[in-house]
Amino acid sequence: MHLGATLRLLRVDAGLSLRDLARRIGVSSAYLSRVEHGVDAPPTQARLTAIARELDVPPALLMDVGNRVSPYVAGYLEDVPAAGTLLLDIARRKLTGAQLARVRAFLDAEFPLREGRGDEPAPALGPLLCAERVVVQLSCEDYEDALDVAAGRLASALPGLDAAALASGLRQREGEAPSQVGNGVTVPHAFVPGASPAAALVTLARPLDADTPDGQPLRLVVALVDGHPGRARLMRLAHVARLAGRGLADRLHGADGPGRVLELLEDLEALR
Amino acid sequence: MLAQLLVQLIVIIGVSRLIGRGARWLGQPLVIAEVVAGIALGPSLLGWLWPDALRWLFPPDSMPFLKMLAEVGLVLFMFLIGLELDPKLLKGRGHTSVVISHSSIIVPFGLGAVAGALWLYRTLSDPSVPFSSFVLFMGVSMSITAFPVLARILSERGLMQSKIGAIAIACAAVDDVTAWCLLAFVVSLVRASSLAQAGMTTLFAVLYIGFMLLLVRPFLARLGARVASREGLTQNVVAGTLLLLLASAWTTERIGIHALFGAFLFGAVIPKEGGLAAALIEKLEDVTVVMLLPVFFAFSGLRTQVGLLDSAQAWLTCGAIILLACLGKFGGSAVAARVTGLRWREAGAIGVLMNTRGLMELIVLNLGLDLGVISPTLFTMMVIMALVTTFITSPLLRWMYPPEEQARDQLAQAPDAALVPSAYTVLLCVSHGQAGPGMAVLSRALSGERNDASLYALHLLSPERPLRVRAEGALDANGAEGAAGAAGTAGSALTPLLGRAEKLGLSVRTLSFVSSEPARDICRTAQAKRADLVLLGWHKPLFSQTVLGGTVHEVMQEASSTVAVLVDRGLSQVRRVLVPFVGSRHDRAALGLARRLFKQSGAEVTVLHVTSPEGAGTGRAQVDELFPLDEGAAVKLKVVRHASPEEAALEEARAGYDLVVVGVGAEWGLEDKLFGVQRERIVRDAPGSLLLVRHPEGAPALAQGQGQGQQQGATPDAAHAVGART
Repeated sequence: MHLGATLRLLRVDAGLSLRDLARRIGVSSAYLSRVEHGVDAPPTQARLTAIARELDVPPALLMDVGNRVSPYVAGYLEDVPAAGTLLLDIARRKLTGAQLARVRAFLDAEFPLREGRGDEPAPALGPLLCAERVVVQLSCEDYEDALDVAAGRLASALPGLDAAALASGLRQREGEAPSQVGNGVTVPHAFVPGASPAAALVTLARPLDADTPDGQPLRLVVALVDGHPGRARLMRLAHVARLAGRGLADRLHGADGPGRVLELLEDLEALR
Repeated sequence: MLAQLLVQLIVIIGVSRLIGRGARWLGQPLVIAEVVAGIALGPSLLGWLWPDALRWLFPPDSMPFLKMLAEVGLVLFMFLIGLELDPKLLKGRGHTSVVISHSSIIVPFGLGAVAGALWLYRTLSDPSVPFSSFVLFMGVSMSITAFPVLARILSERGLMQSKIGAIAIACAAVDDVTAWCLLAFVVSLVRASSLAQAGMTTLFAVLYIGFMLLLVRPFLARLGARVASREGLTQNVVAGTLLLLLASAWTTERIGIHALFGAFLFGAVIPKEGGLAAALIEKLEDVTVVMLLPVFFAFSGLRTQVGLLDSAQAWLTCGAIILLACLGKFGGSAVAARVTGLRWREAGAIGVLMNTRGLMELIVLNLGLDLGVISPTLFTMMVIMALVTTFITSPLLRWMYPPEEQARDQLAQAPDAALVPSAYTVLLCVSHGQAGPGMAVLSRALSGERNDASLYALHLLSPERPLRVRAEGALDANGAEGAAGAAGTAGSALTPLLGRAEKLGLSVRTLSFVSSEPARDICRTAQAKRADLVLLGWHKPLFSQTVLGGTVHEVMQEASSTVAVLVDRGLSQVRRVLVPFVGSRHDRAALGLARRLFKQSGAEVTVLHVTSPEGAGTGRAQVDELFPLDEGAAVKLKVVRHASPEEAALEEARAGYDLVVVGVGAEWGLEDKLFGVQRERIVRDAPGSLLLVRHPEGAPALAQGQGQGQQQGATPDAAHAVGART
């Protein structure tokens, strides 16, 4: 279970202390700490919604991160059993991500959500990447090396910043709180004032043993750079965590080149 | 009576929460709202608008109950403050925090005391108040910093982890402890009827502090360890702690300093490691902060009579006090921060933060009013001062230290940290296994007996190759096998290097990935690793242009560090080194590398200085520059006059050297742009191994006369240039 790790990552990036967040959502900091370390059961829908509100990210995104969707869907199916038939239809057609996105677009147009703000789709990862910033089959002995390679690729997208400075920026943030989100994915990120957001993606040929929240070795590094604090930044991070939950590392592991990685990614995140 | 108290509580808590919403909307800490609520409920607003309501709500005979409740609340609150005070903050602080915290107490204390002595004592005090007490009290009340409000603001702005956050919180902790000690002293002075009694009080207080620190703290540490290992706090432990707290407060009250000090002291000695402190805070905080503390604020609000400031002069005095308070606290800490080397913005931010007085000031003032040291008028002025200084903190901080600045500072910190551990870093770029052993030998010689170099071996896979790897490894679904396969191929190129490195006792970190632009990836990796030297491998049969593919040329053009290409002809040791020298920056870099070989592993260096037949040589001078006197003797200098430096170097190279280290350049037939075409006679014809060195464009050539032992790097200036560009 990696929801806790993601919650901590987002909390630290939102600049909230454990106690602050706990106080704001009305739980004890000990409980929140247990949730973040995955010792306690993941928060209920209501709590997760409260956390999302305090972090200023869409609640649906956080639920998705935790793969906590099925209980709610199950609840809905109990109330409206007919919906099951529709899901069955979707399953029989084996719709891909892109096709599902079209179905969702139709739903949005036909039955708009009442909440409005707060549930806009997360910004996609694909557009932040380009073939130049995708490294495949890195084998190295230390996570630091992977960070350096990612920083090297990212630096060329950021004029005026050199790779070593960026790498130490990434490391510094990593020092404040680990950026592993579980399922073999880590999201090191740095804040570079004024920079336009960019990402670099590194697949590891040899899984790295690292202190991950779920004990799975590291297989994928998604390094993010952002130039503006706030909502979009946190949503990007949460989105990558959600992709990790959907098996991003497994899918990309087989990719043999940047082109293939980008294709797989596009399909995986067509529905955000 | 009870009904009345309950109504009072309902009104107090309700109004503070109501105003609290407004405060939050303004981006202000809750304390502001509570203080304002207290003042609004007092004679200043409610009593002014609707005196009957005030008399009904807070009749004079109900005041003692309210006062007791407020004091109990304060005792608990001071206990919490003590609990939040981490002794780690007081110990092992940097030079900066020490200077700032001292000056942030001394300056406002001095200003307050002087103002009290010269001006306020005459105008606003009673002759019955002892002069010394008044002056000391004014000093203390000016130098208070509100630790809890500060901590709240820092955590809300996400500044806790930042440099200025750490400095401010450490300074506030020191200020807090110092101010309370001073205040305890003042209180004992005021309460004592004679000097002897004051001395006794001080003595007892010191004894009591010693008792708490030396006896109670170790006991509590053991208790804390036991509690932390069990499942949380039992009610018995809480009861025990509260009993001790009350006993401590009672003791200090009896001694003659205030009960608050006992509570604070007890909180401070509870160990912060383990869960005890955190659990206690969790249990007590809400009742104290939500219910009892507003009572205290209301109580001080009831005593604040803004109506007393009825003349323009009174308001002017009030303004002067505010100005003085800000000047002392803000000025004192900001100037000290600036002197210790922070930028003005950071220094200003620290000044603003330290200027927060918040509720701690109120506690001090109430104490002063109770003791009769200050008059109600002065009390009101000081309350307004506390309010104003707290109120301006957030907006001033936002103005002085906006989030952009904050981010810039955080990023600026990073490279500094990265520059320090600059072990000599070599990036070994291996494209084929063959080149490996020679590179290992050279690395050995470069890192010396003490292994003081970080070595990274980089192997870049071409985009076509991993396909095969995947085919081999595809059998295993979870990828472990496939990964091993990929590692295997990467390994096959790196194996000879690693094998030799292991024999030589070198530790090399390997790195390999798929790259479609090897030259760029080599440069990027070198940059990320802050490599001092990029060492490229080369292999004997393959130096026609097609095989090189221009990669070496590209790396040399793009790299921001020294690039060296090793042409390996069975390099097995680096004993005798030849450096042909004319004087270009590449030659100097080559000489620098040779110097490193000499220093690290005692290689015998011969410098061949070639001069044109007509001109006289300046070679000796240049060699002396690069090799300081004590080493200069170890370097053999040969000066030859020859029309073609290339020929001269080749002739000398045949005299049996292990390695010829040569800078690229037309004089050696190694022109960068023509690299790899036909002219490289020196590469083709020299019998031994060669190391072709290129100093990066833009980076300054090796500095004149540098290198008195400290500079071990072959091109320290190049390394600095990389740093400077960040």
